[in-house]
Amino acid sequence: MKRCMRIVAVTATAALLAAGCGGGSGSGDGAEGGDVSLVMTFWGNDDRAQRYDQALRAYEEANPGVTVQETFVDYPSYWPARATEAAGRSLPDVMLMDLSYLREFGANGQLLDVSTLSGDEAIDLSGMSDSLIPSGQVDGAQVGVPVGTNAFALFTDAAAVEATGVPAPEQPTWDEYNDYVAAVAAAGATDAEGQALFGSGDYTGIFWIFIHWLNQQGVEPFTEDGELGFTQDDVAEWWGSVEDLRGGGGFISPERVNQLTPLSIFDAGETTTEQSWDNFLAGYVSNNPDGEHSLQPIPSDDPADPGLFLKPSMLYSIGANTEHPAEAAALVDYLVNDPAAGEAFGTSQGLRASSYQRDAMELEGVDAQVAEYEESIEPLLQDSPPPPVRGFGTLEARFLEINENLNYGTLSVDEAAEQWYGEAQQTLADNQ
Amino acid sequence: MTTTTRAAQRPLAEAPRRRSSRRRRGEDLAGYAFLTPWLLGFFLLTVGPMLASLYLSFTRYDLFNAPSWVGLENYQRLFADPRFIDSVQVTTLFAVIGVPVKLAASLAVAMLLNMALGAKGFYRSAFYLPSLVGASVSIAIVWRAIFIDGGIVDRIGQGVGLEAGGWVGDPSRTLPMFILLTVWQFGAPMVIFLAGLKQVPAELYEAASVDGAGPVRRFLSITLPMLSPVIFFNLLLETINAFQVFASAFIISNGTGGPANSTLFYTLYLYIRGFGDFQMGYASAMAWLLVLVVGAITLVFFKTSRSWVHYSGETR
Repeated sequence: MKRCMRIVAVTATAALLAAGCGGGSGSGDGAEGGDVSLVMTFWGNDDRAQRYDQALRAYEEANPGVTVQETFVDYPSYWPARATEAAGRSLPDVMLMDLSYLREFGANGQLLDVSTLSGDEAIDLSGMSDSLIPSGQVDGAQVGVPVGTNAFALFTDAAAVEATGVPAPEQPTWDEYNDYVAAVAAAGATDAEGQALFGSGDYTGIFWIFIHWLNQQGVEPFTEDGELGFTQDDVAEWWGSVEDLRGGGGFISPERVNQLTPLSIFDAGETTTEQSWDNFLAGYVSNNPDGEHSLQPIPSDDPADPGLFLKPSMLYSIGANTEHPAEAAALVDYLVNDPAAGEAFGTSQGLRASSYQRDAMELEGVDAQVAEYEESIEPLLQDSPPPPVRGFGTLEARFLEINENLNYGTLSVDEAAEQWYGEAQQTLADNQ
Repeated sequence: MTTTTRAAQRPLAEAPRRRSSRRRRGEDLAGYAFLTPWLLGFFLLTVGPMLASLYLSFTRYDLFNAPSWVGLENYQRLFADPRFIDSVQVTTLFAVIGVPVKLAASLAVAMLLNMALGAKGFYRSAFYLPSLVGASVSIAIVWRAIFIDGGIVDRIGQGVGLEAGGWVGDPSRTLPMFILLTVWQFGAPMVIFLAGLKQVPAELYEAASVDGAGPVRRFLSITLPMLSPVIFFNLLLETINAFQVFASAFIISNGTGGPANSTLFYTLYLYIRGFGDFQMGYASAMAWLLVLVVGAITLVFFKTSRSWVHYSGETR
């Protein structure tokens, strides 16, 4: 009896082990029978998931034998998951990519160079502007296909402006803008819930605004070989330019900013203006439906040169490890070029990059407003920037965090600039 | 003792022993067979990755390129990193204040529950409940809502004349908020204290009462010494836990450790470095430093325990 038990135990363990080891080989892609299963990942919310569901199910219907399994998470969790997959050479067949991370993934042979696909397999980029396509290139390889475009804008909420009684400036210089922010705080108006209204938060913590400010002065933010193209003094000058607002209660307090996270202060209707990417409009409108939002170029001392540029709001990349490059490319081609797919997404991923989708769409409401803004700034645009340096995400996050210390009064401008600049150089050196 | 007995019995028990030894070997084998799943897990999922991370801590590794050896550079850079210093300060302060307060609270509640009351079972479950849900994501979200501008705490504060606003955005008040959260999750140490209190012989209290000892005296001279092994156990466990706070800090600060690094707990900073900045070598060095420090603290606890922990069965 006991021996019998022993045999059972050993066999059971062996069976368990076999099952554990067999798990990997059993989940093949069903290559037999010509069926192809593609894995696709994106970041976003339920709204985006529904749009993908619509677009992908339509694609499966039109292409029997191809199934797409999509998964999504929020933006911060997306990158650790992809980086871990990259370490194991098991990236998804198709993934949504952000410009900030393109170089990280693309410089290491992790992503497929889609320009190597030819004939029927090639992805049609003819609908995209010539200045936009290089934004998806790393070291000459086309590792990203732009999905949509966005540009920076100064948003104004006319309803909030009216409540403060201080008229909002049109195409202001930086000084005029800062004076306006100070005047709003001095007016001391409150919103319907009794919260004080401000002109802005400390916008100098947003790294992208700093980059636009550098652009306005003709300074390239990064050199060809991935070093900083500006000095510590530039950072100190930028952060110091609003020192009066910061110390004098001109900006909304950092406590309030933190309380409202993940909403922005502009989402919450507690500031009259905000500088951000134009495709954020849809979010502002849905979070603050009572607002009357409009867009204009960001402040600039030379109104003819606001330093603006179009960049890919998002891109698609194909994992170099994919077993089905042709099918993956066909899917990307459909997502960026097919009018039906464009219809499914609207301007939720920025204005569609491909004219095949853009021209087929009837834009209305928010979508039309964003399209109109991007058309209006076209004569002012500089070339689209190359993918940012490796470690850009870290630079951006630290820029905001160290700027927060200025607002809490724990660092002086010079100390903050020195700390950020030192860390930034270290980060870039680590990523060489 | 045992060896001599066995040796003495050997001639008599020779034949059956051989059979039993074969049987024992068979049983050993079966034992290991049953253990295999656990052993595999232990070596493949725990020891293997730990050794790998020890190696990685001496390298620069960004997940995309193969690790490159840098020797002790990661460890040296740690001590020049202002955010690392911040994270050590936050975590140490949290442990030094949070653990004693939590232990005191859980002991107090355990003593209350140990009194003869009606509906004892109900109260025990009710007080244990926060620990069951405490580690969950939802509680961290609720906690944030309680301490935000216009949240319950802010309103109560306004009710008594404090116009201080919410705690979430104020760097000087986020750590107290975390300490309250951990103290509120006193269930696990409380249950252990309760079990310990049951073990204290009632006759000790009776004898002390007869001798005229009041409640304070009985607590200091009977309860505390008799509970000291349990206190030691809880102190050790809670201290180790305090160094590993992650989920609540991650959620309440939206993964940043803000405002102004005031919730930058050690493991959160480690995560930001490893999975946010893709600096796995640096993060591994941080992880190993934490292992060493927690190990050292545990060692100190054990060394000093001899002077204050009393085991009742012990004869000196």
